[in-house]
Amino acid sequence: MKMPSVFCWLFFLTSCRIAGAQVNKQPQPDIKVTFVNIINKLPLVLDSAKYINCFKETFTISRLNYYISNVSLQTTGKKTIPELNSYHLINEEDTASKSFSFFISPNQYTSLSFLIGVDSLKNVSGAQTGALDPLNGMFWTWNTGYIMFKMEGNSPSSSVVNNKIEYHIGGFSGANNVLRKVHLNLNDTFFIHQEKITEIIIKVDLDKIWNAQHDLKIMKTPVCTTPGVLAAGIADNYSKAFEIIKIIHQ
Amino acid sequence: MKIKIIISLLVFVITATAFIYNKPPHKLTYLKLVIPKGWPKPSNDIFLANPLTEEGFVLGRKLFYDGRLSKDGNFPCAGCHQQFAAFATYAHDFSHGFNNSFTKRNAPALFNLAWMKEMHWDGGINHLEVQPLSPITGTNEMAETLPGVLAKIKEDTAYQRLFKAAFSDGIINSQHLLKALAQFTGSIQSYNSKYDKVKRGEDSFTVSEAAGYKVFLANCNGCHKEPLFTDNTFRNNGLPLNEQLKDMGRMGITGNPADSLKFKVPSLRNCSITFPYMHDGRFLSIGNVINHYRTDIDTTQKILDELLKKRLIISNQEKLDLTNFLTALKDEQMLRDPRYQEPNYIYRSPDIH
Repeated sequence: MKMPSVFCWLFFLTSCRIAGAQVNKQPQPDIKVTFVNIINKLPLVLDSAKYINCFKETFTISRLNYYISNVSLQTTGKKTIPELNSYHLINEEDTASKSFSFFISPNQYTSLSFLIGVDSLKNVSGAQTGALDPLNGMFWTWNTGYIMFKMEGNSPSSSVVNNKIEYHIGGFSGANNVLRKVHLNLNDTFFIHQEKITEIIIKVDLDKIWNAQHDLKIMKTPVCTTPGVLAAGIADNYSKAFEIIKIIHQ
Repeated sequence: MKIKIIISLLVFVITATAFIYNKPPHKLTYLKLVIPKGWPKPSNDIFLANPLTEEGFVLGRKLFYDGRLSKDGNFPCAGCHQQFAAFATYAHDFSHGFNNSFTKRNAPALFNLAWMKEMHWDGGINHLEVQPLSPITGTNEMAETLPGVLAKIKEDTAYQRLFKAAFSDGIINSQHLLKALAQFTGSIQSYNSKYDKVKRGEDSFTVSEAAGYKVFLANCNGCHKEPLFTDNTFRNNGLPLNEQLKDMGRMGITGNPADSLKFKVPSLRNCSITFPYMHDGRFLSIGNVINHYRTDIDTTQKILDELLKKRLIISNQEKLDLTNFLTALKDEQMLRDPRYQEPNYIYRSPDIH
């Protein structure tokens, strides 16, 4: 009789595992967030397209990278449901990087929030991986911390070498912290269904970087590569660039 | 009988299946940082998210001595951080980097890093794990890129084995590389100098060393605080600005004019072999340093440290005694510890670039 009892136990344990695995495989409600970078109604085309800002300064953009982290949705009951391990590096050159999806419980949601940049904790916690891997070129090696937002380009209004525009915006503590929380209302309260993907499309109008809150002419400030008052001002400006343009229930 | 056989077979199959589900656990040999008696707790637990193991330490040590971390293979970490010089660069004001370049600051000695909150003379680096990024990518140091380093070491089967031993998933990525390096450098400890042995009752000072200890306590311990011989603060010690380097120290990190010309207080442990001194290696001997504090402090500087507003009064005899005491901070055990040596170390004349 001993053998069968051992057998029963093993069978029981094994079946538990299989059952557990099945639960994980069940389709989950899904949400997708997509970022569309534009410049004042025009699509962003790196290098070739010329744009004009509100100060009549002509410019081109050659590189655009920024971090979106700590994404969460708020329910009608004012509960905040966070995406787990929420760190995304949006890279204009890589289409796949401009969308991300995650699991969230079916519920009625009223708003979406996220941080532009990487929260301070991850800036002081040593070597990270994935989106936060320092090999992504978004990490300072002279003054520890992530470059939260990186935009490079050229403009005849810039007096620096090669008429460069170079904004490497970082700094995660103190008065000149550049972390900005963006809170976007979803207009209609909407229900995220099971087995359906809801896609939220966010327009990011980079034209705002020059004047959304502070007037920052290329002529005066073509370069910002250290934390400080200017970096914080640029962060104020780009934090106003995010706007939901569409919500699709697929 | 038949039933018994069938049952045994079933048990076997199920047990085997259970084994497949539950992979044997990844075996690691955990190590503990030594916290000598009377020492403070390490300032931040650098091994909290990076448990210190023999496997991680061995991998980190191999990386530390590997020239492939630099662009042309000539500049391993150990090129500028030499064990016989307490992991500073022996007898160099500035170290040598890629393509005949100089570093901009004197290479610091490496030991007791678990007690150090910030790295670099200006404290710009806030975690030991991310510290190596600066020398690896510095164009005047190792001049490599992270993808460049990873591509080189991924091909090496010895590394494949060592990463697998140190990290359960065995992935060779920057995070594991940096964590392993931190395990090695964070394990380099100095607590066996003559001074330590005297404190433990295992040895005794000479008359001159004992007199020097008194001079030290009266004049130096305010910043170079026992037992680490640094309080890890940033201070302006009245050095005139180096006009060529224009290195403003801590102010370059904080942007705060109140931090002008402040540099990290270095530990005096092993200082008899870490010459030249100061962030730019401007003083060749301990005697030069003492002279600075006796006669040369630039008292016109606005931000000058409170403790140095009055120049130190140290007689020539006291200077000699103090030098003897400071020499008793040399930790021969650390300098010769085979644990910190290059694996399969064969003696050759020191690399003098």
